[in-house]
Amino acid sequence: MIIGIPNALLNIKYRDAIQEFFQNIGVTTFVSPKTNKEILDLGVLNCVDEACLPVKVFHGHVEYLRDRCDFILVPRIMKLQKNEFICPKFCGLPEMIKYSLDIKNIIAPTIVAYDNKTLKKSLYELVKPLNIKKEKFEKAFEAFKSNLYKYRNLDYKNSDLKVLLLGHPYLIYDDFINMNIIKKLKAFGVSVYTEDNVDFYDYTYRLIKKPFWTFLRNTYNCAISLIETGKIDGIIYVSSFACGIDSFSIDLIKKDIGSFPYLVLKIDEHTGEAGIDTRLEAFVDLLKRRAKNEYNFSTLG
Amino acid sequence: MNITFPHLGNTYIAAKVLFEGLGVDYTIPPLSSKKTLEIGCLYSPDDVCLPFKIMIGNYVESIQRGADTVLITGSCGPCRFGEYCELQKKILLSLDKDIKFIVIDEPAKIGIREFLNRLSMVAKDSKLSKAKKIKALSMAVKTINLIDNIEKECRFFAGFEKNKGEFARLLKTVKLEAIEAKGAEKTLKVLEEHYEKLKKIEIDNFKNPIKIGIIGEIYTIIDPLSNMYIEDILMNLGVSTRRTLYPSWWVKNTVLSGLKINFSKIYKESKEYLGLCIGGHARECIGEAILNYKHGFDGLIQIFPVGCMPEIVSKAILPDIERRYGIPILSLVVDEMTGEAGYYTRVEAFLDLIEGRKKLCI
Repeated sequence: MIIGIPNALLNIKYRDAIQEFFQNIGVTTFVSPKTNKEILDLGVLNCVDEACLPVKVFHGHVEYLRDRCDFILVPRIMKLQKNEFICPKFCGLPEMIKYSLDIKNIIAPTIVAYDNKTLKKSLYELVKPLNIKKEKFEKAFEAFKSNLYKYRNLDYKNSDLKVLLLGHPYLIYDDFINMNIIKKLKAFGVSVYTEDNVDFYDYTYRLIKKPFWTFLRNTYNCAISLIETGKIDGIIYVSSFACGIDSFSIDLIKKDIGSFPYLVLKIDEHTGEAGIDTRLEAFVDLLKRRAKNEYNFSTLG
Repeated sequence: MNITFPHLGNTYIAAKVLFEGLGVDYTIPPLSSKKTLEIGCLYSPDDVCLPFKIMIGNYVESIQRGADTVLITGSCGPCRFGEYCELQKKILLSLDKDIKFIVIDEPAKIGIREFLNRLSMVAKDSKLSKAKKIKALSMAVKTINLIDNIEKECRFFAGFEKNKGEFARLLKTVKLEAIEAKGAEKTLKVLEEHYEKLKKIEIDNFKNPIKIGIIGEIYTIIDPLSNMYIEDILMNLGVSTRRTLYPSWWVKNTVLSGLKINFSKIYKESKEYLGLCIGGHARECIGEAILNYKHGFDGLIQIFPVGCMPEIVSKAILPDIERRYGIPILSLVVDEMTGEAGYYTRVEAFLDLIEGRKKLCI
């Protein structure tokens, strides 16, 4: 039996951990290749028009895997923190896949994982039909847990210009959708920070209500703490068109940071690469000039 | 303190009864118009959904008329509506520093004490005794149920009426008279009188009009501005329409789900397609679609704003219902730039299709 793992959405971030977990319990997996033009086209063709780009790409990956494996893993990720959600589209993802692609052989485990116990329970529900021995599962689970936090560390060399790259992990790590933004920034001589390789503190007390989206809480906290500690020179927010969560987090951050350099890149399936390049270049130029002139104001005004 | 609130269908009549019963100052925002939407779009983020923009427009228009406290309900579900208060407060504070916000969240999430605390903030200026405050609240609940019932029956029986336009006229006058009546008791009396009148309107039981169910996102199907007055248009064409998601339904559903008893048929029907709550009213949309089919409706119109996350999921499921039950479904996506002509053409074509199907007895 081969289980297909679509290389999109949060699977990108946790791909290695998931793959190793299945390996340890003795199931062969097949991971779809990195997003390419063919997969994107398949997704756009089959998905509901109003959905955001990452969801469309996910549809493309599932369609690609359809004839290549026996079952396809479409996790329904409900909660990664207590009283918090991911996104309504994640909660309804298996249904979207099932009825848009008319596909029957999907495995849709409901993942509620706000602590060790709930995560274990969710995973046990997933492997239950396979009749795996308990010790084997325990071992695989321990390995899975230790692999979870081994995010890919983007090696950034220290340069004077530091930029925080905000956005959902599936946009930042998918080089096809974001058009190699990390590589391009590095070519400009900018060191790139992401949510995964910096520490940040809780600043949600500034809001009147605790956010119930994990993504919103993380991006908000990350942006505000790095600005407060003066670690970065600018923020680039990569967001997909019609993303419900980003429509709030972009503006919540913008209203809090005043005139701090802040670039928002909206991405959809029609985005032209030249436009992105020009804006990135202009933004980096602005940061460079700002760093040069910041303390050189004439005393005469 | 002068309280204002966003529009949601007929809630303004219930709010009037509540605040007049309590003896609290209030401002009803002018009925949503193109100008409201323009003001809302000016101050809101681009990507945010349509209800947010109309609500901002409502607040600004009431603040111009003297309001200083905004009362809204919240939720802690995964849909965007729960975060509205956060960003709306920030936007309004940047326009006017003295605006206060009262957010009525679900008691299950914020704790019953905090909930009561916030409720008592609404009635802070009222000098009445507790019993009278509770009486005002119960009168408001009675009002919303009554006006929603009147509207529901008018919309449904519009297809069966003997003299064309009687139900439409009654619906228009009841709203006008209710808002002009002085005092809570008088308003309630106006509504009761009209409810009696409604029952006397002659109905032709042999008629067989087109029956259409309206499903989708709760705000856009209730608010006439955002759905381009679709129910009025269908009413004028002699089409019977039905929708379940009225403000009174929302009140009842919120209270029941707070008490963890939900016997609603909608959830039973939708279980096969969508077993979990994914936020918004996606589950209700699916359940309604199947229920409407079982009640013998000829077609369904789904309306939702651009980028509505839960409704995108239900839009993916609806084609399967369409195929399986053989009921035509039209999905209309609205935002502030929806063109009237294109919208009405699609509705008209959909009606023609249903008429054709009816003639052929499909």
